[in-house]
Amino acid sequence: MTSLTKSILILLFMSTTLFAESDSGITIPYVDFPMKEGKGMYSTKGKCNMCHSFGYVINQGLQSKKFWREKVIKMIVIFKAPIKSEEDIETVTNYLFEHYGNGELE
Amino acid sequence: MERRDFFKKAIAVAGSAAIGGTAAEAGETVHPVDNRKVSDIAFPQKRPLITYSDRPPLLETPREVFTSALTPNDLFFVRWHMPMIPTYINPRTFFININGLVENEIKISLEELKTAFEQVELTAVLQCGGNSRTAFKPTASGIQWGVGAMGCARWKGVRLKDVLKKAGLKNEAAWISFNGEDKAVYNETANFVRELKLEDLNDDIILAYEMNGEELPYLNGYPLRLIIPGLYSDSWIKMISNITVTKEKQKLHFMDHAYRVPDNECECETPENLVQKTKPIEEMNVNSIIGYPSTGSKVRNASDLIVRGVAFDGGHGIKKVQISIDGGKIWEDARLDDGTQGRYAYRSFTYTFKPKKSGKLTIMCKATNEKGEEQPFAKDIKWNHGGYKYNGIDEVTIEVV
Ligand code: HEC
Repeated sequence: MTSLTKSILILLFMSTTLFAESDSGITIPYVDFPMKEGKGMYSTKGKCNMCHSFGYVINQGLQSKKFWREKVIKMIVIFKAPIKSEEDIETVTNYLFEHYGNGELE
Repeated sequence: MERRDFFKKAIAVAGSAAIGGTAAEAGETVHPVDNRKVSDIAFPQKRPLITYSDRPPLLETPREVFTSALTPNDLFFVRWHMPMIPTYINPRTFFININGLVENEIKISLEELKTAFEQVELTAVLQCGGNSRTAFKPTASGIQWGVGAMGCARWKGVRLKDVLKKAGLKNEAAWISFNGEDKAVYNETANFVRELKLEDLNDDIILAYEMNGEELPYLNGYPLRLIIPGLYSDSWIKMISNITVTKEKQKLHFMDHAYRVPDNECECETPENLVQKTKPIEEMNVNSIIGYPSTGSKVRNASDLIVRGVAFDGGHGIKKVQISIDGGKIWEDARLDDGTQGRYAYRSFTYTFKPKKSGKLTIMCKATNEKGEEQPFAKDIKWNHGGYKYNGIDEVTIEVV
């Protein structure tokens, strides 16, 4: 094969792959990040899985009560999570600390 | 239970008064979490990667990939801020909008980008500012990455400068903001918008439509993303579709609060004494990672072992990479590749030796750049609340049998 035909072939190959890829979209798979059963699970599920997966939450690892409380407040203040009452903040914080806590209050 | 913890805490605090701060109170750094397993679910156009979230997709590249100077597209890490990402974009109807303080507000199609502008190519490392965040104790906010929130690719596209010139910047123009097609779920959450000072614009900043000779994977920002070589990737907007030129800096969470470090010499602080004045993370610290072997690898005694890895910095260029097999006392030069990919690219390195006795062996690598900056030991990195810019000396512990 001459180098010219070689490069034409390479070009052809490249342009077909380029077109083939862009004509179909993608499907993002669902990945299950199961939540531990317990008091406040449903409330937390409703509030913390609204904008992102629970994987995003538990990726932080086991944390203190203060850490979880501050995280919940960050979601409300910065990202406008619609969590209105102090009682709801308590429920979610307690659930997260109970199941994803490191035993430390602070 | 809480009472007992309260006691533990009280003791820790009391103790710290005497010895000047316990490690956890003061903030410390350790080696980042290593060897996490890839998921059995592969994301579209990707091989299985370490998976932290599906919505938005957060995928980390395993260490083994860092043996070659270019990171394959299907192994390239993925980080989105906003979970609603278009899963189909028609390349024939896609436009990028340029507006604000410009002579003509314009829309440019992909086709036009590819034909009406000078095409440029460069190789550059894309690294999250929070790469290796698991090194920071106590936990710093953000994704708890191991060492794999980085990759290096050959990018092809057009200069941002040329695109702005086409629209014509007005005299008062001072800031450029960028936004992509990813959206927040909740309409009150601010979108991920980033800004660049016009005076920081340079010829190497490009809008790229190609990555390693292929279209960008969707999850890396198809069909177009911003490339800012040498800087951490917080402003490398994916699926970029809008550029707005302004006179004043806008008020934006992701500019004003995220991706910032203390504005002091060490860029450090302590958890109980956070520094108020901060600055953007910007230029990447000199860094290097061992791709092979990895912790737990078994190798034969007295037989050649080739250590492979990659090194990079913020664009000054890598001067040397050194290896130590005695805990950091003696350092020997590794062999660097020819460096033809340029100063923003990975330099791959190799170091060949024969292990001399069986048992556990720790291998460390340390890079030094042309400015003379070298990587500190992991424990000497200073804590910051965002867990940014970690560049501790990497190590793996193998078993010689
Ligand atoms: C209104 C939308 C919204 C809701 C509701 C929400 N989050 Fe978030 N959360 C976000 C966004 C946006 C990010 C991503 C920030 C980024 O990319 O930097 C995020 C990121 C996070 C992170 C990553 C670390 C960090 O500090 O950014 C954690 C942990 C987290 N959320 C926990 C929670 C918990 C717990 C709840 C339930 C109380 C919650 N989120 C509810 C929008 C939300």
